Amino acid sequence: RPCSVDRDQSPSFPCTWKAQILIHTCPKFAGVQMEEVLDCINSECPLCLPGLILFFYFVLYLFLAGMFSFCMYMMLLTLSPYTPTHRDRVSPPGVMIRPYLHGFTIAFNVSEPSTWKPYVNSMHHFLQAYNNNVQEEKNIECQAGQYFIQDGAESKEKKACQFKRSQLHSCSGIEDPTFGYSTGQPCILLKMNRIIGYRPGYGTPVSVDCAIQKGNASALRSVDFYPGNGTFDLMYYPYYGKLTHVNYTSPLVAMHFTDVKKNDFVPIQCRLNGEGIVSDVNKDRFLGRITFTLSITM
Amino acid sequence: GLTSARAAEILARDGPNALTPPKSTPEIIKFLKQMVGGFSILLWVGAFLCWIAFGIQLAQGVSSAFDNLYLGVVLALVVILTGIFAYYQEAKSTNIMASFSKMIPQQALVIRDAEKKEVPAEQLVVGDVVEIKGGDRIPADIRLIFAQGCKVDNSSLTGESEPQSRSCDFTHENPLETKNIAFYSTTCLEAFLPGTATGMVINTGDHTIIGRIASLASGVGNEKTPIALEIEHFVHIVAGVAVSIGVLFFIIAVSMKYKVLDSIIFLIGIIVANVPEGLLATVTVSLSLTAKRMAKKNCLVKNLEAVETLGSTSIICSDKTGTLTQNRMTVAHLWFDNQIYSADTSEDQTTQSFDQSSQSWPALSKIVALCNRAEFKPGQGNLPIMKRVVVGDASETALLKFSEVVLGDVMDVRKRNRKLAEIPFNSTNKFQLSIHETEDPNDKRFLLVMKGAPERILERCSTIMINGEEKPLDEERAEAFQTAYMELGGLGERVLGFCHLYLPEDEFPDTYPFDTDSMNFPTSNLCFVGLLSMIDPPRSTVPDAVSKCRSAGIKVIMVTGDHPITAKAIAKSVGIISANSETVEDIAKRLNVPVEQVNKEDARAAVINGMELKDMTAEQLDEILINHSEIVFARTSPQQKLIIVEGCQRQDAVVAVTGDGVNDSPALKKADIGIAMGIAGSDAAKNAADMILLDDNFASIVTGVEEGRLIFDNLKKTIAYTLTKNIAELCPFLIYIIASIPLPIGTITILFIDLGTDIIPSVALAYEKAESDIMNRRPRHKKRDRLVNEQLAVYSYLQIGILQSIGAFLAYFTVYAEQGFLPYTLLGLRVNWENDYNNDIEDSYGQEWTRYQRTYLQWTGYTAFFVSITIQQVADLIIRKTRRNSLFQQGLFRNKVIWVGIFSQITIALILCYGLGSVTALNFTPLRVQYWFVAMPYAILIWVYDEIRKLFIRQYPGSWWDKNMYY
Repeated sequence: RPCSVDRDQSPSFPCTWKAQILIHTCPKFAGVQMEEVLDCINSECPLCLPGLILFFYFVLYLFLAGMFSFCMYMMLLTLSPYTPTHRDRVSPPGVMIRPYLHGFTIAFNVSEPSTWKPYVNSMHHFLQAYNNNVQEEKNIECQAGQYFIQDGAESKEKKACQFKRSQLHSCSGIEDPTFGYSTGQPCILLKMNRIIGYRPGYGTPVSVDCAIQKGNASALRSVDFYPGNGTFDLMYYPYYGKLTHVNYTSPLVAMHFTDVKKNDFVPIQCRLNGEGIVSDVNKDRFLGRITFTLSITM
Repeated sequence: GLTSARAAEILARDGPNALTPPKSTPEIIKFLKQMVGGFSILLWVGAFLCWIAFGIQLAQGVSSAFDNLYLGVVLALVVILTGIFAYYQEAKSTNIMASFSKMIPQQALVIRDAEKKEVPAEQLVVGDVVEIKGGDRIPADIRLIFAQGCKVDNSSLTGESEPQSRSCDFTHENPLETKNIAFYSTTCLEAFLPGTATGMVINTGDHTIIGRIASLASGVGNEKTPIALEIEHFVHIVAGVAVSIGVLFFIIAVSMKYKVLDSIIFLIGIIVANVPEGLLATVTVSLSLTAKRMAKKNCLVKNLEAVETLGSTSIICSDKTGTLTQNRMTVAHLWFDNQIYSADTSEDQTTQSFDQSSQSWPALSKIVALCNRAEFKPGQGNLPIMKRVVVGDASETALLKFSEVVLGDVMDVRKRNRKLAEIPFNSTNKFQLSIHETEDPNDKRFLLVMKGAPERILERCSTIMINGEEKPLDEERAEAFQTAYMELGGLGERVLGFCHLYLPEDEFPDTYPFDTDSMNFPTSNLCFVGLLSMIDPPRSTVPDAVSKCRSAGIKVIMVTGDHPITAKAIAKSVGIISANSETVEDIAKRLNVPVEQVNKEDARAAVINGMELKDMTAEQLDEILINHSEIVFARTSPQQKLIIVEGCQRQDAVVAVTGDGVNDSPALKKADIGIAMGIAGSDAAKNAADMILLDDNFASIVTGVEEGRLIFDNLKKTIAYTLTKNIAELCPFLIYIIASIPLPIGTITILFIDLGTDIIPSVALAYEKAESDIMNRRPRHKKRDRLVNEQLAVYSYLQIGILQSIGAFLAYFTVYAEQGFLPYTLLGLRVNWENDYNNDIEDSYGQEWTRYQRTYLQWTGYTAFFVSITIQQVADLIIRKTRRNSLFQQGLFRNKVIWVGIFSQITIALILCYGLGSVTALNFTPLRVQYWFVAMPYAILIWVYDEIRKLFIRQYPGSWWDKNMYY
């Protein structure tokens, strides 16, 4: 220790952290009471040389943590809670299907309910939010065929349009609670990813069509689309974000595969059609389109 | 001679007459060594783990499996490329040497089948009879059977450049001392009258004396250089950190229920982040830059690492002849008119400034010019006198040059004073005499001039010239002569006496037939004129260099084969023994007490004779080396030189040894750094050395030391710079594992920092100027002053490194937040984020993202992280310019290469970001311009923090802060 102090002097000050630093740096710090140093040595503080280094790092990291928190706070202050600063990476929209069980191969045996039960359960679970009574209670009926633009303060709560389960007709699971799985005519729901402020189709509703991805086109003979021939009505857009558009439910298109080749893997690609929709990016196979395989065993 | 058949038989039995070259490692082994040394092992492990992961993932059908294959290939490429680079660097410096060892095949004139034949020296066998003439190199160890005027230069063997005569007489039991043996690789001197000799070969090849010394040299192990040890130490630290963090987090990952395969991939990331891939190549480049700079200053470095060794040198064992001295006799003092005059002994003298007004001076100068057989080789009129080549022995050469300087054209003087008779110097007479006509046409007397050993000359004199007048040589004057003779002799100088006599005209008429055999002229009662003393003077740059060494804490020890008196005189004149220090003998003489009574610790200096050294134990030698700071070893043998070096090394000193002869090669090899002389050095010495002084000048060593110390400091800076960002590369992985956030920076991106943006800046630090006078501090202690010490690692890793990580994380979080993923959403998101089937992950605003959209965002995160590290590395580079001084003291613009580094760093980052942003495999994306500035405050903080650190270090030296923060 560079500092040699007379140890016989009695302590008269409480030991302070300042004294701790001084022990190892004195006597060159000007304007500091030597007594503090003496005191500290005499009272045998637990903070000694290794203690000091820990203390130093504690202070340093505390400062860094403080500075980081401050910077993060400042950064977060610049963000709007309603709309992200940039939306260039999330648009144009991607597409997902339900049922969704770890992959895009929907394979089941009609005669074995246990093979298709999970799909049916997943559909039911997903459609809970679309139950007619829920929709009627929370959401309003909107005018079809035009965007539901809600002006006014950004922070004002936005209304959402009803999308009733019954609109899905034979795929609603109301008349046929197995969504056609028990008869080998499965329903699959298609959902367009939500993007704040996005107006799909620029005035013309986006529609869905499906085709065999590769191979014999005859494997897929007929698909029924609900509602309205497989279009996403304009009234469900734009989306205003989770914070204000609380009860928003994504519109769906149900695809009823009424006649698909059985006992075979049938790769099907469904894509969105509409202005501004991109569905031909090689790297992103879920942008404006989705590919899945149906394998129905009779 | 032998018959050809018999010779062929012996040749088959003994092998060719050539030294076996030292066993060299096969090139492929050298190459493979580069492939597994240093960090390579770690990276190989990383690469193999990658391939294993690839294999497993491929079998599982994971789409991203090929990423691991590529990463493995990239890692392997990195190792192979850096290996090739290091190998190339090493090969390049070895090639410099190859040119040295190339020798013209030597021919020997041998008598075979009773005919004289020219055969290559390699084919000589024992029993061959060879003929040698002046200027030849002796082709093998031979016993002379006929010799005439043969002198050999044994300097390559014994270090003594004094020519030794050789005859057929057996004079000594010891083959090294006897006159009838000439040794392989020594030269038969081309004297005035070319000598010839015939001898029988007694030893060939490795059996010769030289061969035995050479094998002694190759028997001395090559130890690792200090810098190699330092780098090893540093590699251990980094590898230790990498492996322990890697294993620790592997265990954490496994216990956090990560899949083992994922944990292995994390492990790879941690290894790649921790290993500074580009650093070893950077160190090599820095060393070779310094080596180039040193080569410009006449230090040619054979082994790159030796560059730094010279910087940590704490003892230099220097040869005397040629290194400290000019390696040529020069007139140093004159004595006439009872007065000693000093002559100029510098290398480029053109005039002599001592008082030449005395009447005695013309007489003396005439004797010096006339009584001399040496001549300039013709056709050198344009060369400065000191550089001209002279035919004649060393003393005569010195006298000839001296007279040429003071009198002008000596040849013309000799022409005007025609020589009539002459008796050359021989060891029985110990004088040389010649008789001349005088140049004065009116003076018909002959002039007899004589020079020789002073006491012999004085015996032949009855008068002495004082102020141009002949005075009787009485007791008093003889006493004065004795005093002067003793004084000059005490300076270690070779003294010659000069006298003359004008032969009376009547006794010696014009036509008098002088006969040197019968000596029909007087050789006594001459007139003594004066004394001249000669020495091989120190080089003019040496005293300054020695004092620089001293202030740099380097002990200079002189080791010479020369006489103790001469050695001590030279040591005193160059400052190896400083003006006011005394040896034990000096003290004894001053106090007038026996040597044994003197307290040895009072004496700073010591002159040790080889004979004394022979009887010393290792402990006694250690005692001398510790107790005396100024030591001269005289009359030492090659083996003793080795013992001295070993003694110094026992004191934990880093020892530099200079040498030129074959006899020095064991010591050169044993030394931490062997320095051979480029001009005077023998090939064996150059082969054994690590470094070659192209100008044979001791002063060049000092500049070498300076460069060596500078590069050590600068390597510290380079390593500190490089290590810092490893934390910023490592933290992302750790937080990725612990907090399950999307990966902030990819492995490939890390490689782009380590091997892309950071390379040129870290080399640029090698150009940094010294912070203070590095020649005013002690050499570093081999074991205490490490290249990478605890403070450096801790400051880089735990302070600046953490700062950098925080800055980079701010950029990462900013990018994600501005795209909709607020920090709290990111926590724990990893599993869903990386799920290829999940294409509608919700962000903080309720938007949904496909897998590829997320990946692209992740790459944007990589790019932002990368850019932030780069920006902060610019700040790191600037703070690393100094370790103690403020940047403003050092100057921002003195090292322009730093700015090249910064420019390259930013340019590479720009190219990667905007130029190659669309190449998917590289994982870069064109970044919004504002993200380049997110980490800026942290860059400024790094600089401010470091300035504060340095300020406290300067303000409170020795304090807690200084001890913990100065690296």
